[in-house]
Amino acid sequence: MKKLMLFLLSLTLVSTVAACGDSNFDETGTINVYTRDTSSGTRDGFMSGIGFSEAATDDSLLVSGFTTNDNAGIMNAMRSDRYGIGYVSLSSVNDTIKPLSINDVEPTIENVMNDIYSLKRPFNFMLRLEEDYENETKYLLARAFEAFITSEEGADAIDDAGAIGLSSEGPFSTIVEDHPVCALDNSDITLNIGGSNSVTKVAESLTAAFGPRCGNPSFVHNHTGSSDGFKRTQGDEKDSPNALDIGFASRDFRGEELINGEAFYAQAAWDAIVVIVHLDNPVQSLTLEDLKNIYGGEIQTWQSLID
Amino acid sequence: MKNNVIMSNLDKHTQRLLLLFSLFASSVIILIVFFIVTRGMLPFITDNDGLGRVSLFRFLTGTVWLRGATFVSTAYGAGFLVINTLYVVFLSLLISFPISILSALFIAKICPPRIAQMFRMVVEILTAIPSIIFGLVGAGFLLPIIYTLATTLGYRSNAGLGVLGVVIVLALMSIPTLTTISETAIRSVDRSLEEASYALGATRAQTNAKVVLISAKGGIFAATILAVGRALGEATAVSLVAGNAMSGPSFIPFDITATLTSMMLMGLHETSGIDYDIRFSLGIVLLAVIFIVNVTLNFIKKRVGDFGE
Repeated sequence: MKKLMLFLLSLTLVSTVAACGDSNFDETGTINVYTRDTSSGTRDGFMSGIGFSEAATDDSLLVSGFTTNDNAGIMNAMRSDRYGIGYVSLSSVNDTIKPLSINDVEPTIENVMNDIYSLKRPFNFMLRLEEDYENETKYLLARAFEAFITSEEGADAIDDAGAIGLSSEGPFSTIVEDHPVCALDNSDITLNIGGSNSVTKVAESLTAAFGPRCGNPSFVHNHTGSSDGFKRTQGDEKDSPNALDIGFASRDFRGEELINGEAFYAQAAWDAIVVIVHLDNPVQSLTLEDLKNIYGGEIQTWQSLID
Repeated sequence: MKNNVIMSNLDKHTQRLLLLFSLFASSVIILIVFFIVTRGMLPFITDNDGLGRVSLFRFLTGTVWLRGATFVSTAYGAGFLVINTLYVVFLSLLISFPISILSALFIAKICPPRIAQMFRMVVEILTAIPSIIFGLVGAGFLLPIIYTLATTLGYRSNAGLGVLGVVIVLALMSIPTLTTISETAIRSVDRSLEEASYALGATRAQTNAKVVLISAKGGIFAATILAVGRALGEATAVSLVAGNAMSGPSFIPFDITATLTSMMLMGLHETSGIDYDIRFSLGIVLLAVIFIVNVTLNFIKKRVGDFGE
């Protein structure tokens, strides 16, 4: 019995050592494809960006054997899966994985602002209709917040949170003149912010910067998903206890959500989508065509991509 | 005479109060089932805003979660999820049952009393650990190990996500529950039975195996039912290590998989329309599976109990 145990133990030890020793990247290895699920705004942005928008909501078009996970799950997986490929939001990227360039353009904030990095998705927000706000002050505050987003301080707040602000329209001090509500004391007002949870950091950063510059209203954040961005401001739940004053979405508003027209929604920021692989993977850059072929199953091993 | 009257009034009121509590407790269950069933029936009987009905037969026997584009297609299939769920729970039970029963036996009968007390406390604390902790530990600690194991054996693995991860996490979660309850059952076996066995010349091992465990069968079975119930309903921990497969039952340990609960959880916050409602339908299937498994286990328990005593 003891001898058997010793033998099994040494066998496991040897095999683990053998596994550790092998750090050669096997080019004939099958590409393990990771994706977000079909309701994700990141997936929508990624698939449209690579020219595969049919696959944004249709799993059957993807290569077989793909794994579905959320942002953190894909990051975690790419740390160990040497043959994996996945995509995450720019703000999640760190040095435990390797971000790839697209057409030799690196995924940096500058390159997104210059519009030469093409994989990105919008962070949009939506307001309630004027008559749906609890009082006129809240409506005016919402409009002031909208203006703040496009100011310099707003762009800074967005950048701090890891997204990319749109080109700014100058310092808030020049814009605030058009919003006399900011000169009042708004500390007894509470605004409900919600919608996409991908936008949570950005939304919180914006409200934290906006509050002191506009009479100190308080904000309650309740981010539950992009679909709630419309539902709880202008849709079915706009008068429910979960109603929002401003709702965010990590995708373009679509279909019935556009019902009240452009006056009540706008884009707040860009979020860049980065393709990531394991640190040991020798690939540096891919084209959008490559990505479409990988996710569609036409390219199945790393061999053709390592040249 | 007066005292008797006062006592019976108090009794009556207490009885009524207890009845009220029982009715409340049972009505909550009925409310939950009613809500899930009425909401979950909708995709099968309504037109889903012009998209057409979801085919019930396809839903119950399908091996692909959704053919076609989300929010547009109604070709949902959950058959493979049922098979996956039962498969991983069964495998996890294969691991957790022997470990728990033998640990319980050790703590109850073999261990010196003071150390037994310590073990008992540790296991009881383990039962209280929330499932998401198990999920996070599984995702952070187990997955790289499983990945290394898979690559050593020559299997393709998606960063360790898959059946093996789910089975280990579920086993880890079931062990504390199984152990505490079995331990109590074993401890409450009549001492005289044991002594009779020793008196007849049986060794310690023989007594433990043939007398003690058999007598504690009822409690051990109850523990198993509880552990299986928890494993069947586990959502968060499973979703972190499963890999969320979208098709076909998965049997190979290194293949990605999905269970009824992990599929309900996936993308839940961002979805809407028929994709949201179909999760209630999954809820009905899950309730049905839990019910059938419980009834089966209870049936087996009755039959086994007869033989044991």
